[in-house]
This record gives sequence, structure tokens and C-alpha cells, in this order.
Amino acid sequence: MVSKVLRYGILGIMGLIWLLPIYLLLANAGKSTADYSGDALWTPGSVTGLVDNVVAVFQTTDVPSGLGITFVYAIVAPIIAVALGAGIAFAVIVLKVKHGFFWFFVIFCGTVFPLQMMLIPWFSVYAKIGLFDTVPGMIIIYSVVALPFSAFVMRNFFAGIAPSVFEAAVVDGAGTWRIFTRIFLPMSTSALVVVFILQATWVWNDFLISLILTQSPSTRPVMPLLNALQSVEGGGPGYTVILTAALVVSIPTALLFGFTQRFFQRGLSLGQY
Amino acid sequence: MTTTTSHKATSYQRSAWAFLGPGAAVVVLVLYLPVLYTVYLSFTTYSGLGSPVFAGVANYVALVQDPVFVTSLVNTLIWVAGSLLIPVGIGLVVAYLSFGLKGAAWLRVPFLIPYALSGVAVGIVFGFVLQNGGALSQALAFLHLPGSETRWLQEAPLNTVVMILAASWQGIGVNALLFTVGLQSIPKEPLEAARVDGASGWRLFRFMVWPLLRPSTTIVVGLSIVNSLKTFDIVQAMTQGGPNRVSETLGVSMYRDTFSNSDYGLGSAVAIFLSIITVAASVIYVRRQLAIGDSSGDTASKDA
Repeated sequence: MVSKVLRYGILGIMGLIWLLPIYLLLANAGKSTADYSGDALWTPGSVTGLVDNVVAVFQTTDVPSGLGITFVYAIVAPIIAVALGAGIAFAVIVLKVKHGFFWFFVIFCGTVFPLQMMLIPWFSVYAKIGLFDTVPGMIIIYSVVALPFSAFVMRNFFAGIAPSVFEAAVVDGAGTWRIFTRIFLPMSTSALVVVFILQATWVWNDFLISLILTQSPSTRPVMPLLNALQSVEGGGPGYTVILTAALVVSIPTALLFGFTQRFFQRGLSLGQY
Repeated sequence: MTTTTSHKATSYQRSAWAFLGPGAAVVVLVLYLPVLYTVYLSFTTYSGLGSPVFAGVANYVALVQDPVFVTSLVNTLIWVAGSLLIPVGIGLVVAYLSFGLKGAAWLRVPFLIPYALSGVAVGIVFGFVLQNGGALSQALAFLHLPGSETRWLQEAPLNTVVMILAASWQGIGVNALLFTVGLQSIPKEPLEAARVDGASGWRLFRFMVWPLLRPSTTIVVGLSIVNSLKTFDIVQAMTQGGPNRVSETLGVSMYRDTFSNSDYGLGSAVAIFLSIITVAASVIYVRRQLAIGDSSGDTASKDA
């Protein structure tokens, strides 16, 4: 019993320590630039201060202009990745394509190289063929980078479906495309959702790829825009506004996580991500 | 490794390729060809304009003689060691302490919240906490503790250490979740038997739980090593690798050499160096990952 109390105690204290940076973020995002002098950082802010700062983020910074396009990237690219990944898994596990493991291995190993290994060619080839700083160019790269993980999770999931499911459908006279779209995809909704959530979060939070491959307001997503707020000190927005901007761009992923928590442990055991 | 085939492997080859082909093609085109091109560039001199000029191993020679690269490599190794010690270690502690407690999922929530933040957002929050006269300095001064004058982000290797702490703050929740999933998959009987035999506390953990948890540990450790090798976002957002490039990691150096200093050959050489270590480290957990789901089902405890 004592050890149980101790465990609650340790976890509770650690949890509070973990929440301190979040508190500082909220407290100072809730201070008006006028109140903020930099010497009382631990005092709480106010709701009106927060509202004023959110308004300031939308009126005076570039960050909101990136929200729309970031949503497009974070929704479209994971859908493409999930669809192509499920197709790969279907071919390898269900249709047992020849040398299936080899091909799966090749696709999966696309993730082991750091992105730094591909940035220069993406940058120079995109500049040559007119995909640099374009929405389709970004969607292509996000989708393909997300693809190996998606194929991996879907393969693990399909491996758990009994072969008799496929055989019964064949006996019923269904073609492979029909079996894929009408039987296997509906059966694997939870896995598809997990992959989508993880990859949408990754795309939303991407900084490196977008930093290099975008420059104009119509293509640049939020993370490089958020980071740029820091480098215009002096003429740039005050710290309260920068913190508020960081808060604003974190809300979509926080909501996504909050609403889909149940899927998570399941996804982790599927993907060991 | 192979699953038993209950229908002929050849009967659906044509349609199988319709499903596999598009994915395989884009992966080769968008991921593998660029890797090859970067390998080629690392043997050239190239400023991004005109065309690359073959230069043999000049970039690699320049690299090993470059003090910035050496610093960057050392920093990257500090990142790897720190990420194993702190997020993996504390992640395991959180998972083990909360395992089996009522409301365990709620106890883990504070550790998961930071995971919703991006690397850039974490960098901004911790930049705010750690700046000179920032929240940490004020707290230390208020409590009359030493360190309130410390310039956390300006001095090496201190800046690397505090950035690792920032990254740990973000990363522990996921590690704790992975370990929790691992703990849940440990069979109950041997643990009960050990308890009946009087094992408890540290001994129970050391001799029963730890060995049975090995499949999860392998993956968490592998992912931590690989992710810490690739560190970019937090460093770029907090110090940009500075001051004077002292807190760069290999990922940041590659970016700086290539896109700020327009030395594509040198940047490619850094990328290749980084890739070689990353790929070597990946072998640790990729083998484990690929074993899962390969034979149908019970692989989790196979080599525990």
C-alpha cells in the first residue's frame, strides 16, 4: 500500500513538473505586450490578454496565412500515403506478389535515410522541373516520405487477417480490386485512421522540408513561418505574441490527439512507432 | 520468416503489380534516386549554380579537417547518449510506476501533452524559459539557488545539454506509451509466480520484467538513437546551431553548409556521414520491426 501511495506521489510530482512549461506558455501568452516587462514571467496572464494576443497573431504576423495550406498538406498527403501503402500491403500479404518481401523491404528502407540525404536533389530537381515552391511538389514529397511507414503498418494489419477472408471472396467471384476496396479497406479502418493521424501530425509539424522547398506565402506552411517570428527581433512581434502563435499552431494537433486517444495505443502496438 | 501459402503465389501476379507498382515506383523515384545523386554530389564541388565539378574525396578531406564538423559530430553523439539516458530511462520509469495503477492513463497525460507540440513550438517555449533573465533564471533567483546568471543557450556544451532536456520533455510520453504497451503484453503467470516466491521491487523488475520487456526496449532504444541522430528542428529553432556554430548537430551542419554557405559538395558529404551512422543504428530496430507480423502472430516474445 505504501508503495502504491509512493508511486502516485512520484508520478504526480513529475506530472506537475512536466506541466510547468505548458503553464509558462499559457501564462505569458495571456499577458498583453504592455503588461509584459520580462521580470514577472511566472505570474498568470488573463483571458482578455490571450484574446488580444490571438488577435495580434492574426493581424500582425504571417503565421495565419500558412494555416490553410498546412491543412491541405496535412490532409491530402497522408490520404495518398495511406492509400498507396495499403495497396503495397495488399499486394505483398494478400496477393503474395513474387519477391514480395524483397519489395516490401526496399520500400520500408526508404525511411532509414535521414531527410538530409534527399534535400539537395529535391531542391535542385524541383527548381529545374518547376515543382519548387508549388503545392503539388510539396504534396508529392510529403506523401512519398510518409509512404513506407504507412505500408509497414498496413502490412502488419493485413498479416492478422485470415487468408480465408480472401479465399471466400474469390469463391464468390469478386475481383482483386473489389476485394481490396470492399473488404480489406473497410476491415482495416482503425489501422488506416492511426496511420493517417500519425502522418498528418508529422506533416503539420514538418519544419525541415518546408524550410527548403517553399518560399512564397501561398505554399509555405506554419512551422517555418512560426520560426521566422523569432529571427525578426527588435522589429518583430513581442515574446507574448510569439508564444501565442506557438500556441495557435499547436491547437490542431492537440485536438487531433485528444479526440483520437483511444486509437493511439492500438496504433502503437500495430506500428511500434 | 515465410508464411504458408494456401493459394498459389502466382495466380494474381498481374493484379498484385497494379497494387504494388505505383508505391514502389514513387519510393524509388523520390527517395532512392536522390540518395544516389547526393552520393555523387559529395564527390564534386558545386555551389548550386552551373554544374557540379568532380573533386574526388576533397569534400571528405575538408570535412575531417573542419573543426565545426568535429564539434557537430561530438554534439550529435551527446544527443544520442542524452536521448538514451533521459527520455528512454524516464519513459520506462513513468510506464513502470503507472502500470497497473488505477487512473494510470490520466497520470500519463501530462507527459503526452508536449508530444502534440512541434519541434519548433517546443524550441520557442524553451527558448523563452532559458533565455538570459528568462523564466528559469527568475525561478532560480526567487528560490535563492545558484545559476540565475547562467547563460543557458550561449555556452557549449551547456546549450546542447539543455536542448536535450527540452527534447526529452517532449519525447518521454511516447516512450512511456511504448513501454506501457510492452508491459501489457508480458504474460501475467511468470510475474505472479515470482511474486509468490517473494520477489518484489527492484529484484522483480531486474530479473523478471526487464528481460521480458526486451522487444519493446529494442524498438524504443533504436528509435531514440535514430531520431536523436537526425536532430534538427529544436536546435534550429533554439540556437540555430550557434553561437558560432558550437551547438550544431550533423543535421544542422548539413543545412548550414548547403543552404546558407552554398557548399553543396560539403553538405552532401555531411549528409552521407550522417546517413551511414543512421543506417547502421537502424539495423538494431528494423530487424525487430520487420519480424513483427511476418509470421502470423506470436513473434512478440520470440527472442525475449
